Amino acid sequence: MEEYKNANMRIINSGPLAPFRKWASKWSLWPCHFITSCCGVELAHAFAAGYDGERLGTLNMGISRQSNYIIIEGTITRKMARALQFVWGQMPDPKFVNVIGACGERGGIFWNSYNITHPSDIVPVDFFIPGCPITPEALLRGVRATQDKIVGIDRKTIEFKRVELPFEKQLEERMVPTSPKLFAPTPLIKVDVKREVDWGKELEDNLKNKLEGLYESITITGKSSIAIKTTQENLKEVAQKLREQMKLDHVKSVNVIEVPHERKFIVEYIISSYTEEELMPVLVTVFVEIGLKDPKIESLTSIWESANYSEREMHEFFGVLFDGNKGMGKKFILAPDTPDLPLRKEFKIPEERYVFEKDMPLDELMVPIEPPKDLYIPISEEFIEEAYDNDEIVVPIGPHHAGSGHLRVTFRIKGDIIVEAIPEPGFVHRSMEKLAENRLYIQNVPLFERLAINDPVNMNLGYVRTLENALGIEVPERAQYLRTIMAELSRIEAFYYDSGIFSLFFGHTTGFMYSMAIREMVIEVLMGMTGSRSGPSFLVPGGIRRDISDDVLKLTDNLTFAIHKRMKKFEDIFVYNPVTIARAKGVGVLTKADAIRCGIVGPFLRASGVNYDIRKIAPYEAYDKLDWEVTTGDDGDCLGRFLGRLAEIKESVRIIKQAVDAVRSIKGPILSADILGEYKEAASDIKGNFFRVFGNLVLPKGEWTTITEAGRGTLLFSIISDGESNVPYRVRVISPCWMNLRGFMEALKGARYADFWAVYGSFGYFPPEADR
Amino acid sequence: MIDINAVISMMMNNQVDIPLLQPLLKPMLEMPLVGYLIALVLWKPFFVLILMPGFATLGIMLLILPWIERKMVGRMQWRVGPREISPHTRGIIQLLADSLRFLFQEVIIHKDAHRSYFLQFPFLYFIPVLLPLLFINAGTAGNPLVPIVSDYGLQLMVALICLMPVFILGVGWASNNRFAFIGTVREAFLYFAYEIPFIIVVLAMIVLYGTSNTVGVVNAQSGVWWGIIQNPLAALTFFIAMVMATARLPFEIPEADQEVSFGPFVEYSGIAFGLAYVMGYEKMYVLSALMTMLFLGGGSGPVIPGLGELSYAIWFVLKTLIVLVVMANLRGVYPRYRLDQALKIGWGAMLILALVAVAWSLVMGVIL
Amino acid sequence: MKKVATPEYDIKDKLKYHVSALSTAAKEVVMPLNITTHYPRERRKWPDCFRGYILFDPERCISCFECSFVCPANAIWMKEAPSGRYYPTLDYGKCIFCHFCVDSCPGGALRSTKIHDVAYKNMDEMFTHTEEMIEPPEIIREDEGYVEYEIDKEDLTLKRTKGKDKLIVDVAPSQGVPMVSLCIDRGSCIACKVCEKVCESGAVSSLLDEAKMIIKMKIDSEKCTGCGLCVKECSMQILRLVRRE
Ligand code: SF4
Ligand code: SF4
Ligand code: SF4
Ligand code: SF4
Repeated sequence: MEEYKNANMRIINSGPLAPFRKWASKWSLWPCHFITSCCGVELAHAFAAGYDGERLGTLNMGISRQSNYIIIEGTITRKMARALQFVWGQMPDPKFVNVIGACGERGGIFWNSYNITHPSDIVPVDFFIPGCPITPEALLRGVRATQDKIVGIDRKTIEFKRVELPFEKQLEERMVPTSPKLFAPTPLIKVDVKREVDWGKELEDNLKNKLEGLYESITITGKSSIAIKTTQENLKEVAQKLREQMKLDHVKSVNVIEVPHERKFIVEYIISSYTEEELMPVLVTVFVEIGLKDPKIESLTSIWESANYSEREMHEFFGVLFDGNKGMGKKFILAPDTPDLPLRKEFKIPEERYVFEKDMPLDELMVPIEPPKDLYIPISEEFIEEAYDNDEIVVPIGPHHAGSGHLRVTFRIKGDIIVEAIPEPGFVHRSMEKLAENRLYIQNVPLFERLAINDPVNMNLGYVRTLENALGIEVPERAQYLRTIMAELSRIEAFYYDSGIFSLFFGHTTGFMYSMAIREMVIEVLMGMTGSRSGPSFLVPGGIRRDISDDVLKLTDNLTFAIHKRMKKFEDIFVYNPVTIARAKGVGVLTKADAIRCGIVGPFLRASGVNYDIRKIAPYEAYDKLDWEVTTGDDGDCLGRFLGRLAEIKESVRIIKQAVDAVRSIKGPILSADILGEYKEAASDIKGNFFRVFGNLVLPKGEWTTITEAGRGTLLFSIISDGESNVPYRVRVISPCWMNLRGFMEALKGARYADFWAVYGSFGYFPPEADR
Repeated sequence: MIDINAVISMMMNNQVDIPLLQPLLKPMLEMPLVGYLIALVLWKPFFVLILMPGFATLGIMLLILPWIERKMVGRMQWRVGPREISPHTRGIIQLLADSLRFLFQEVIIHKDAHRSYFLQFPFLYFIPVLLPLLFINAGTAGNPLVPIVSDYGLQLMVALICLMPVFILGVGWASNNRFAFIGTVREAFLYFAYEIPFIIVVLAMIVLYGTSNTVGVVNAQSGVWWGIIQNPLAALTFFIAMVMATARLPFEIPEADQEVSFGPFVEYSGIAFGLAYVMGYEKMYVLSALMTMLFLGGGSGPVIPGLGELSYAIWFVLKTLIVLVVMANLRGVYPRYRLDQALKIGWGAMLILALVAVAWSLVMGVIL
Repeated sequence: MKKVATPEYDIKDKLKYHVSALSTAAKEVVMPLNITTHYPRERRKWPDCFRGYILFDPERCISCFECSFVCPANAIWMKEAPSGRYYPTLDYGKCIFCHFCVDSCPGGALRSTKIHDVAYKNMDEMFTHTEEMIEPPEIIREDEGYVEYEIDKEDLTLKRTKGKDKLIVDVAPSQGVPMVSLCIDRGSCIACKVCEKVCESGAVSSLLDEAKMIIKMKIDSEKCTGCGLCVKECSMQILRLVRRE
């Protein structure tokens, strides 16, 4: 690796023309489009209106052949490592590499994940930039450092001053404290723990009637949730009945829980309805228990298409065979060299360590990963031949492609029409579910925030609400409002990120810049509140970390007025631009029936005409106290999806305005007394007591499922706790983008090749969120 | 044996007249070798072709135009564009750095490419781009500044311009890459969509002016009676066709980087890509020059005192620049059309507009 | 419920919107609403609560390990100082700047700075030892001014000020609730001495009960800093952290 770095510098320094060479290379570092992970969001900011990296001659343009600079944005998964190596190889010499974001360095929050690699093992890296996500300024510092390096200035960007520690009297024999994590040795895992709530008697009877003889037990497991235990043989029939007679028309989650000491798997489907208004907030869990050996179960894809990808995913993670699903036995999310069945309990990931020992290699704990040798494309020869026989062309797009993000889709195109689109997600699969099983509950707050760094607060909220529901904590009113404000700001952020990408996909850079500029405003406010640009981790079970000052609230209030000016400009130049309308109207239509069948969520579902918004059907935080409307549409095309979201965030601005007005008159704590226990002083600022308050959270036994309306749709967290450990037994997270992937592919059928980007952009597909 | 003196005197009879420089040039012309050189430089055809608005201007334009584009689009986008390279001159030398970097960078010829064609085409491309400049008339009515006077000047220019896409097809073919292939096919489709209205519009102007001699064309637009006023429809169609021909947004379809990652040029690196990159700008320049000549009265404009005939050339370049800037700035305003939509515009609206323009010309011809 | 309909353009609308797009663009060229911060020549002024590089004050550290335990990225490893006490080190190759550690620190030994724009040449440098975290580090600064985003009811405007922004903010160090360790069931103590071994303040000592000839542990509440390690490690789970009254 060092050799390569030196070789590049040698090229720059060689020959009589060296000064010109240096000068030209310095001012013309063109990074290639190699978006690898969530740090890409801040990269976008660094090259957008707020910071404009182009000032430094760094034009973010060109693909590998035309560029001389890679900025590796965070996580490089095993799959992506291949692409990285390949792209780097394609670039002409001399070339430079920067890594931004902690997870590209020593793993960051994913340091013990089974699927990530160290980019520095794969390509020679010139500079590492810390942060998660990095700030745009830090990224530009990296550019400056690279420029300095090219012209031969060798200086450290940070100089630490060493201060020797005070020497007191030596202590005697010392014991190093043990890990704070507690694991129950033989945890009792139960999905259907009965809970007394004043709800659901009717539904229970109804279900019992309809499923006579097909179930083993039906238990009410909480408000709006009910669990049906059945057997392997009856599963399909139960599903059929539920679908036809109860109108439970989509699957929200497919989950497998392994209980090795009882030698069983629990396979569960969480289903709900988009058509029956009463059932909308209800989560029905249908589960079966199967043996550990040769686990096999009948696939329910024929009944619920929305279960398709999740079944494939579970198959890959646990080895449970879903008989009848076409994707069985094929790689979907994982790379060929990822360990098999990584989510099984017997697969162990490295443990944390708390004490530094001299001469210890720093990355000793990482799973060692060989640089990959081949470029893995999971498309069979026959597929390609078949396509050629039919006079079609096979085009793989991504993961290194200016318009693909970190997703690969393989197309079969006839003429200009897409015949088939095969998705290949998993380029940013960072194994959050596995990691969450090995961390304290509170440590998972920032972990799950990394699902979507451009919609951070909603991701936080989804997880934190699950904990609160389990612990039965009531959030103080002031915190409720503040959380609502932040969640809506985050929704605006998410929309503008997606709209920026949408416009970029249409080649409209101005739309991108305007979107990012609006985001920059929102970020300014969120940063004032939380202290972080894109990774606030500000919501904690029971409230928020610290109170928000009136100054910042005033700023927020101002924002709700000021934002309109720039929003209007954005609409004038991009949204209502006749070319945009021509490109997006009538393209990628998903009918209502299709949308429900594929289990689309969020604004995209609403754009197809389903009136389903969790903020309305099962209100949380302060949403029921504020005046706002759900937006729906009938067209279900790209334009409808996009305009629907635009209208939705206008509602968001309204919500924020009202919430700010309301919160000014509500004084009080921002952390619930229930969770603070004896640390009552921390009611308005957790500083100093954070670990004591949250370090030892233990959830009551059972499964806790909560749905939240994130920026791009339903975010589902399902946590299984054994009631003893202070780490979750299993966390299942279904992110909106993951659910939308099926519909995204459906919308592509019959579209034109160039429409892929319209559909992609309109779904706001954000791969880190989908891959988890 | 060529009679040097005859040649010189021929040159001397056809000099660009710059009063300001006269006192300076007079003594120099007397000198033996320097004199010949100056005579050559100031010889009108040479001056137009090589200096202004010919190759030299083109070269400068290539360095400055992308900068102007980046700066203006940057402004439009609430940011600044290239700057830190020379903060006091607002980063005007940015393109110099970019092109030098391209020059010094490795050129990769991947193993599936057709080696010789892969390298030849970007260079060959200069032929159809530069040859039309032979017929350009940068002068004004009654005062032509034109390298070659030909009765078929316009036709020849159009023919050469129509040759350009062939080279792009070649580039795409030699690359042997999926995206290059798709991009090439897109280019080919688009080619037919804009070429026909383009030719018809030029025809309309020929009809209107009653000549296809570039000198005649400019002569027909004396005063402010420019082509754009005589036949605005034709000007509009020509402009759209021009945007399409240069694959600028909203018709940046063959090179759409989000869709086909620069299409035909996807495999080019180093100086080869640098050439491919400037190709587009060269084409823009030539077409804008043609537009200036056809619709904006060539070099007509008030004589700048002291500059004599040079002022026409300056006006010509200025007008060309304005057309270029307008065209370049479309990048900030429009997303791109889909191929089929662009084809529909080409074969539908533009064809109709072009035909109406011909009718207009005929009517105008009758009236005048 | 609000229905959003997608617009249908006829030729008139098309013209209208072409004109509006073009005129918006033209307006921006003439009078741009520029929002660019010219980093590195100027910096954005971040709010004082900004979460950046972390400084450490050994005087205040009670070696409670909480920062290390809470760190979601396991970026903090405790290192033994010459005195035998453990102090945090920080690996910026892992740190995600969540500042859970800062919020956890009961002694207020950790505090935030606004330093965040740093590039390292190799990963080993990213590992910051305790000794390096005490004094504010120096970073390359090319800035001559700073930019503030000001949002009023009309629009976002940039306020530019000459001079260097201060990156080290003086915030009052946080103080957790002062606690002290207390044995709630002396009878059950089996004198395994775990508490003594784990205590870094020398607050626990063993005491021989002459009468019964058994060893009992004694916690000196004056010396106890309330780090809670003994409570955590106690084999009989008979220690509790209680408020220091
Ligand atoms: S988790 Fe995301 S934001 Fe954090 S360093 Fe990795 S890529 Fe960047
Ligand atoms: S800021 Fe967060 S990630 Fe960094 S050391 Fe502290 S707790 Fe760990
Ligand atoms: S006092 Fe603060 S810095 Fe010291 S170990 Fe405890 S949490 Fe860490
Ligand atoms: S007695 Fe216990 S709580 Fe007190 S300082 Fe020692 S280890 Fe910490």
